Amino acid sequence: MAGITWHYVLKFIITGDAAVGKSSLLVRLTDQRFLVNPDPTLGVEFGSKLIEIPEEGKVIKLQCWDTAGTESFRSITRSYYRGAAGCLLVYDVTSRASFVNARSWLADVREHADPHLTCILVGNKVDLCEENAEGASNGRREVPTEEGQRWADEEGLLFVEASAKSGQNVEAAFEQASRDILDKIKRGVFDDDRSPGVKLSKPTNGNLALDQGSAKQGCCS
Amino acid sequence: MDFLSQTYIALRGPTGAPQSAVDTIAKLSDRLSPSTLLADRRAAVLSLKGLTRDCKEDVGARALPGLLEVLQNDAEIDADIGKAVLETLHQLCEVDEGTKELGLKHTDYVLANERTTHTLFALLGDTNFYIRYATLQLLSTLLINRRHQVQSYFLKAPAGAPSVIAVLEDKREIIRNESIVMIQALISQSPDIQKVLAFEGAFEKLFNTVTQEGGVEGGVISLDALRCVDGLLRFNSSNQSYFRETPLPSLLLSLLLFPPTLQLQDAAPQEFALQFWDNQKVANVSLVIGIMGMLIGSKGSGSPDSSVYIRCFIELALGSNAPTALKTQTLRLLPTSLTFPLSSVILTPYMPVPDSNGEEWDRLEPASALDVLVELALHGEYNGLYGDNRGKDGLELRGAAVTVFNNFVHKDEIKQAIVQGMLSSEESTDAPSISPLLHALCIPPTSPLNLANVTTTHIATLVFSHLLGSSPRSKTIARSIKPPSAIPPTPQGQFFVPADGAPPGPQSVETDEDDAPQSVLHLLSENLSLCFLSRSRMEGTDDREAREWDRLIVGYLCLLAQWLWEDSKAVREFLEAGALGVLVEPINQTSESESLVPGLCAFLLGLCYEFNRQPGEITRSTIHPIISRLGVDTLIGQMTLVREDERFKAIGPDSMVLPYSTHAPLGINPADTEGEIWFDWAFVDFWKSNHYTVQKGFAMDPNTQASSSGPNAESAMLIGSLRDVIRAQAQEIDDLQNKLKAVSVGETQLNDLQSQITGLKTELKESEEKRKDVEKEQEDLLVLLDEMSTKRRKDKAHMRAAGLEVSEDDADGDEEDDDDDE
Repeated sequence: MAGITWHYVLKFIITGDAAVGKSSLLVRLTDQRFLVNPDPTLGVEFGSKLIEIPEEGKVIKLQCWDTAGTESFRSITRSYYRGAAGCLLVYDVTSRASFVNARSWLADVREHADPHLTCILVGNKVDLCEENAEGASNGRREVPTEEGQRWADEEGLLFVEASAKSGQNVEAAFEQASRDILDKIKRGVFDDDRSPGVKLSKPTNGNLALDQGSAKQGCCS
Repeated sequence: MDFLSQTYIALRGPTGAPQSAVDTIAKLSDRLSPSTLLADRRAAVLSLKGLTRDCKEDVGARALPGLLEVLQNDAEIDADIGKAVLETLHQLCEVDEGTKELGLKHTDYVLANERTTHTLFALLGDTNFYIRYATLQLLSTLLINRRHQVQSYFLKAPAGAPSVIAVLEDKREIIRNESIVMIQALISQSPDIQKVLAFEGAFEKLFNTVTQEGGVEGGVISLDALRCVDGLLRFNSSNQSYFRETPLPSLLLSLLLFPPTLQLQDAAPQEFALQFWDNQKVANVSLVIGIMGMLIGSKGSGSPDSSVYIRCFIELALGSNAPTALKTQTLRLLPTSLTFPLSSVILTPYMPVPDSNGEEWDRLEPASALDVLVELALHGEYNGLYGDNRGKDGLELRGAAVTVFNNFVHKDEIKQAIVQGMLSSEESTDAPSISPLLHALCIPPTSPLNLANVTTTHIATLVFSHLLGSSPRSKTIARSIKPPSAIPPTPQGQFFVPADGAPPGPQSVETDEDDAPQSVLHLLSENLSLCFLSRSRMEGTDDREAREWDRLIVGYLCLLAQWLWEDSKAVREFLEAGALGVLVEPINQTSESESLVPGLCAFLLGLCYEFNRQPGEITRSTIHPIISRLGVDTLIGQMTLVREDERFKAIGPDSMVLPYSTHAPLGINPADTEGEIWFDWAFVDFWKSNHYTVQKGFAMDPNTQASSSGPNAESAMLIGSLRDVIRAQAQEIDDLQNKLKAVSVGETQLNDLQSQITGLKTELKESEEKRKDVEKEQEDLLVLLDEMSTKRRKDKAHMRAAGLEVSEDDADGDEEDDDDDE
């Protein structure tokens, strides 16, 4: 309402195992704070954020749907895959199981989502490794960076390691994915109207509605 | 019909023997099996459909599994069989008046597993008109019967949400409308489904529909679509925050013709204020307003978005020709912690031109929203045009305005500023401009009663009590308000129509020179006793009029109770105005018909006793015998009756208007929609928390210190801590004084010593000089001695040479010494 303009609206979903920090990533992105004791997400939650891609000169509105990682909600969260343009597939670098399960999440996404969807693999909670790295061993890290990178390359995913607690790479992850989508748009992979996850903003439409309003005022008064 | 009869013939077989319906159904059901030809299956379904009407139970029992099988396998391929099987299932599941269990039983069978539901949602994707339509109808019916079950299947359906949205977009109106109805049931009480549909873009589609139908001017379809939007948003914070991110919030304003970018200082356009209203539009707008209220409520009133919404609400409620019910709704939706600058927003109220049937409107002078709000509360809509109307709607609106006012003045500073404003208006002696509120409060009661004035004064007491309630400073200021003595009773509002000419000049009030202006408190107690007088004359003549008097009395008593609470100066003033007599009379003469007034009088009397802590003519010892004579138990009993009165019990935070009911059968039969106001929630709350203190106070000896008025726990703690502070400070002062004393003693000593030093110094100097003199003398003597001894040696030598006897040389020194000694 305040007249903020953006060029594209991109729909993102955030998915991955339970307790890998999906909601924390979203809250870090939208509110710049860290949830200390988040409750498990029920179903899905919504959050949004404006980001700028300077080299393209575009402002993008990210609409993010943070999905529940718990198995019981899986059928609900699947409904969201189809409409998304981007996907953050999150695992926890201190939990090998979450990395292994990422394969099944990816399979799910591939099955239900738009084939042109951009997926970025995010290894979350790197702050936990750094803290311990000062000590003797390599801390609690169970998934080495190289392994994550290798799998991402194999599957054709983007890759980044991030921390919702410190904020490291969180915005970067979304930006990287958005750049990739913008690139696809430029190459004409998405038609503006054909993918449900990408919308060219229609500021003209919004203004038109207002203009009509004022035009009406003009002739009546 | 042709093929129907053919089928019958085929089934009947060559023998021509008549068959029972059950047999036929059994045979037809057999034919549904996938092994038969598609055409045969189609014919069988159609025949079963025909039989359903008369033999619903048998068809259900025998054919349901087969029908579901057909739905599963054939509906997608063959539109005709699809349509037929859907319609048959619909008939089977529909609950008719007579056979409720049967429809539910069939529904349960259909919903026994998720397969059928998933098929149905998949079929929604089919573009064939009849398939879509019939599927929607069947889904609606299933949802009505077993909503929860369908909802849980929907969430697992592979293409549930997208196909639902697809039908919402259908260009064919019938389908689109049917889908809106189905969605309403689907989203009910399921936040998950609400979110999925929002994600798929349901808001945009629904608002498209609303706009296509002509916005709020649209018919039932607009209404249903708006209801869907409401359903998607209510109690769903995730969807609400999504909704705010879209351009739709401003579209809501545009639907009401309110410019979304209106600045605070700009006036709202006239086509927003003056619109044509019919019932359908009222229903639509009511939904839009409800959605807006929900968005304000969930966000607080700080953001720029909601301040436009609040502005829109205020314009609609105070400066438009919207129907009364809508205005009431908007006022109630305003946030309770209202921080909107009501006094700085200028708006233009309207009133209908008489006899124009609501088609022509007069613009009134612009005024601040706060003034218009108070005006609305005091005189009712349209500048008091219908001030004497007791319609429930109108009173609800005025009650809502009082509540908004109460929310607005919840800060003490605002209360004080407003009360202060009344004070200054009185000081300008030339033009006795009097604040409308004060004017309304002080209108003297006339007999016979002017209905409009009674309501006005009563509401003024409510508003005024909100200004004074729990604000000692406001009470202090209010005590010194002295309204001009003569008040012309004007039944209508204060605003004038500029088109009608100049404002009515300051009414020439013939101020009686002898009659010095009285304080408000005096005026109130005077009016109160006048009321009691008129009321007693009324006894038994006209019930309705008596009730009006009672209500006015209740209004005065409530205001006084809240004013005098914990304000001993006001209590003294009230008592000196002759309050005791006024209060005791009604307590003594209890009539069966009226229980409120004596109880309230007892309360006020007890309150005066409790808080009469100022020296004056009437002391606690004066009141005490009166209370003993009336009987403490009687007084408490009368107060209990107030609590038990329906008019008291029925008041809630949101409802203060009660349906008018006459106690006595004699009363004229008023219209059902008539209402009346007795108390507001603030007083009920006040009473509940304080009546016990007053009851306890009755039994107290006049000499006891104020117990209840004394410190409560919190202030006791405060006083305790302040006492500690004072004690500590006194201690400190003592210490410092001692120190100071010590220091000053030291100083005198220092002075003494210094003078001593100077004395000693001079002494020293003197003695030093003396010593110097002596030294000098001694030196001179030594020189003399030296000369003498030299001379003597010479002389000795002379004498030796002359041969004279001379003493030993050795003795020379001794002699010299001796000489020296001499």
